[in-house]
Amino acid sequence: MSERSMTVELYHPPLEEQDAYDEMSSAEGACRPHWAALMEAMDELGPEELGQRWARAERRIRENGITYNIYGDPQGVNRPWKIDMIPLLLPAGEWQSIEAGIVQRAQLLSQIVADMYGRQTLLASGNLPAELLFANPAFLRSLVGVPVPTQSYLHMIGVDLARSPDGQWWVLSDRTQAPSGSGYALENRTIVSNVMPDLFRDSNVMRLAPFFRAQREALLSLAGTHSPRIVLLTPGPHNETYFEHSYIARYLGFTLVEGADLTVRDRTVFLKTVEGLERVDVILRRVDDSFCDPLELRGDSLLGVPGLVDAIVAGNVRVANALGSGVIESAAIMPFLPGLCQLLRGESLKLPSVATWWCGQPYALEWVLQNLESLVVKPAFPSRAMEPVFGSDLSPEERERFAARLRAAPYDYVAQEQVALSRGPVWEHGSIASRSLVLRVYAVNTGNGWTVMPGGLARVASKDNSVVSMQRGGHSKDVWVLSDSPVDTFTMLRPKNKQIELRHDKPCIPSSVAHNLYWLGRYVERAEDTTRVLRTVVWRVPRAGRDELDCLLALFQTLGIEGGKLPKSRKALTLPQRFEQELLSVLTDGSRADSLPFTLGQIHQTGGKVRDRLSTDMTHLLGKLRDVLPTTPEETLMAYPPILSNCMELLSGFSGMERENIVRGQDWIFLSLGRRVERALFNTRLLRELARPFAEKDWPLLELLLEVADSSVTYRSRYFTTLQPLPVMDMLMADQSNPRSLDFQLAHIVHHYRKLPRHLPEDLQAMQHALERLRSFDMRKVSYPLPDALQTARSSSGILRLRRLLDETEELLLTWSDNLSSRYFNHARTLAINIGQ
Amino acid sequence: MRYKVTHRTAYRYNYPVSVGNHLACLRPRALATQRLESFTLNLSPVPGEVIEREDYYGNTLHLFSIQEPHRDLVVEAQSEVEVLATTPTYGSSVRWEEAAALLPQDHSTSGLDAYQFRFESPRIRLRSEFAGYARQSLTPARPLREGLLELTDRLHREFRFQPNATSVSTTVDEVFARRRGVCQDFAQMQIAMLRSLGLAARYVSGYLRTTPPPGQERLVGADASHAWISVYCPGEGWLDLDPTNNVVPGTDHITVSWGRDFSDVSPLRGLILGGGVQALKVGVDVEELPALATAAP
Repeated sequence: MSERSMTVELYHPPLEEQDAYDEMSSAEGACRPHWAALMEAMDELGPEELGQRWARAERRIRENGITYNIYGDPQGVNRPWKIDMIPLLLPAGEWQSIEAGIVQRAQLLSQIVADMYGRQTLLASGNLPAELLFANPAFLRSLVGVPVPTQSYLHMIGVDLARSPDGQWWVLSDRTQAPSGSGYALENRTIVSNVMPDLFRDSNVMRLAPFFRAQREALLSLAGTHSPRIVLLTPGPHNETYFEHSYIARYLGFTLVEGADLTVRDRTVFLKTVEGLERVDVILRRVDDSFCDPLELRGDSLLGVPGLVDAIVAGNVRVANALGSGVIESAAIMPFLPGLCQLLRGESLKLPSVATWWCGQPYALEWVLQNLESLVVKPAFPSRAMEPVFGSDLSPEERERFAARLRAAPYDYVAQEQVALSRGPVWEHGSIASRSLVLRVYAVNTGNGWTVMPGGLARVASKDNSVVSMQRGGHSKDVWVLSDSPVDTFTMLRPKNKQIELRHDKPCIPSSVAHNLYWLGRYVERAEDTTRVLRTVVWRVPRAGRDELDCLLALFQTLGIEGGKLPKSRKALTLPQRFEQELLSVLTDGSRADSLPFTLGQIHQTGGKVRDRLSTDMTHLLGKLRDVLPTTPEETLMAYPPILSNCMELLSGFSGMERENIVRGQDWIFLSLGRRVERALFNTRLLRELARPFAEKDWPLLELLLEVADSSVTYRSRYFTTLQPLPVMDMLMADQSNPRSLDFQLAHIVHHYRKLPRHLPEDLQAMQHALERLRSFDMRKVSYPLPDALQTARSSSGILRLRRLLDETEELLLTWSDNLSSRYFNHARTLAINIGQ
Repeated sequence: MRYKVTHRTAYRYNYPVSVGNHLACLRPRALATQRLESFTLNLSPVPGEVIEREDYYGNTLHLFSIQEPHRDLVVEAQSEVEVLATTPTYGSSVRWEEAAALLPQDHSTSGLDAYQFRFESPRIRLRSEFAGYARQSLTPARPLREGLLELTDRLHREFRFQPNATSVSTTVDEVFARRRGVCQDFAQMQIAMLRSLGLAARYVSGYLRTTPPPGQERLVGADASHAWISVYCPGEGWLDLDPTNNVVPGTDHITVSWGRDFSDVSPLRGLILGGGVQALKVGVDVEELPALATAAP
């Protein structure tokens, strides 16, 4: 699955440094003119200032949540994206020839793909070996002959380039189905241009936004309808480049979806939303083509949409790039491109491919076998799993065995020359070092020709690695194409040529997004409740007497924590120590579902899935929340109160933004419902502590409850200092003006739920009834003995009724939440089961 | 021979299925040697629309989706087919190496169509061991047909037909190692051997007549879907071989579809939301029909 899409499997011979082309310095060691301004600016700032600026930039990378997933590494999910401070600079003149070469290549590849899935004249004429289709697993037969608009076969391509010692750029590989990295390129630009903003402004760097505008317009025109719905189909958060999927979706204004968010009805693709099914016109896909439809393509795919191929055949949806376009990612096509370019375009190929031999040609096979020493052999079709083989590494016997393997299925292999990469400057530990690099360039088909992103994504190898791979510790670089004249400073936020129509509506949201927002709301509130309780308890425990300890324990258990390390008997002598251990465990053990680190992890995860719905500031806060707990757990409880305060501040910041910075659309309703339901549940647990006979030693609990419910000040202003159970209960349960009372939560749930489309009348009623029951509950009938008095019979029946009320309310909240799920979320993300015979 | 074929598949789910998307490949092909007189597809529950489409290989696909909760799905295909008697002699004169060597050079439509069946496909692997097995029959310079018939005979003798020995996902490597399987495995095994030698071979899905003619033994694989293979003889055409029964298919075999391997032509595929399969029943009935009266002159 797009495995290692950001890897260039490129192995270069260990060149002496002076042999490689140096991007920055000429052979004589002088700085090339187009680097002079950058070097001067860096000299002027000095390493210390640059270091500080870069530290700020790196913080921004973390806070923006710019991440990259490393496969097969438990710590690999959501790694911060690695950027080098120094951009790669290319002068305009040189860029123009790259650009022309890319445009020609894109046109040529499109023509070839269209022929492969169309009349196949290139096969009949013998200009293209039939093996390139028939032995190629990426050739999807279901898509042959399907009418597809020409510009959607290849909507976008990525081309990996490397520069040889003589300064010539060579194509290493073509990415033709779902090229990744353009979003990272954009993010690199944002970060790097801010490190030296003056330099950036003065350098006439060609902007990236026009490229994305072109992409957006290309997709809109592909739809062919007035106001189309365009979705970006991602394999999900575990994909290597998921960050970019969500980033691009937000940037282009498309809906981010996974396969299970879509369904095919009547040969038409629909998005499952909170409002019901919404037709989808265009799918910009980041899922590999064979995984896109488990019904007609790979039956084992969990990422696709059953029936998608048929919807494409029926002409009811456009997919970019078209399914099947991966067929031309094969390196085996490379030796044929010069001839095909002449044949199809009457031109010579402008950008050469790295020297490649397809072993399916008998003379090429013989040549490869004779020159194995200097070649690297790879699978002709990228989907075949095989590590590249270096001829120079093979012993004579291995060589013989390998030769037999090549002869058995020669069409399955290509051999390539090993490429000497150019080197460019990188910022490392406060000074400039030199590393090998490759450049990925992007082009998009607008329907009226191709637009090339000026720049792209450069990647540098890590120090001791000959593979340029983000998977193996490489860095990326921003690429500045330096124009000779002022540049187009268009940004996506300010379209120049069109008057925007004012809109106050919010588009309806996918069911899975509603689901994640609801749970984000619940987890944020859960984290807040946990933090409040822990903050109240932690610093008191070490010096608490026996009675107070019992109260602290009771409060702690309102978190719904069961068992853990606590002794069964509250009389146990070891209780204080065990309690401290338990608190530490809840503060540090991320494997416990009731721990603070677990809840914060859930916030980060669900938040990450809806980051395209949250403001940048909220995303920043989520980034900070992830880092709020120390990476190595503290050993003493006393280290935690300041950490908890910090956590509390961030959570309050988040709820403030939630209230003030989100438009009251459906997004917000689901987020708020999550928060209200979670707080109501917490409330019932707090109140249950009051639904029992109160002995004198329990009275300190009242103060703790007020502190946790943030209601101490109000209590004091109303009742001065006398703490009694009833007024506390009133504040936590019935006070309609207290945002932490149970009444407040239920009232708001009713208020929000009513606004949801397709809400269930019976669920609305149930919640209204619960609120009425709560309001008609006569608290005065619950009587507690005053500290000195004896318990009366009357009090216990009141307490029982209170307990029943709380039990019923809790039960209702849980059922109601389940019903909400099945009404709005359940049909999303249900995996289909394959029942093929 | 004229037949009426009823192919019934019934699923019982353990929970109600809210949506089911299905793809059927059940309609017998119309061929020079086979006339399709009628075909009906009966579905329960009844879907909104049944889409009929031709796939890359010219087989007929039916797509349908059921969008109301259901616990049972029944797909019943009924066909009336006439299979015409032929005595193909393809491959009698060409040496098998020649057939393999001609294949890549033929850029004609039929040549290209054949060539695509000589490579690996989702369920077919090419191995030198497979080639080695086949070479004992396809000996140097032997006429293609002769070698193929002997290989078919050896497979029939040296591999054991054993129902339930394998599943749909059993690989050719496992079949080769264990020397046993069902008709699907026999077919895919022989295809893998022939492709490993550089020949073009395709997978044929179809039916067998249920009741043998008087005095003959009942063929293996009746009462269910059957599978055999077809090998390309350059310049002549496709020669069918049934390794499970060691016969050259004639009027007892009814061809439904062909592809590179089973995965291209599985009779019924589906993706369901909400349930799991509790029980699956498949039944095939092939009934002989009287010959049509020849129209009076």
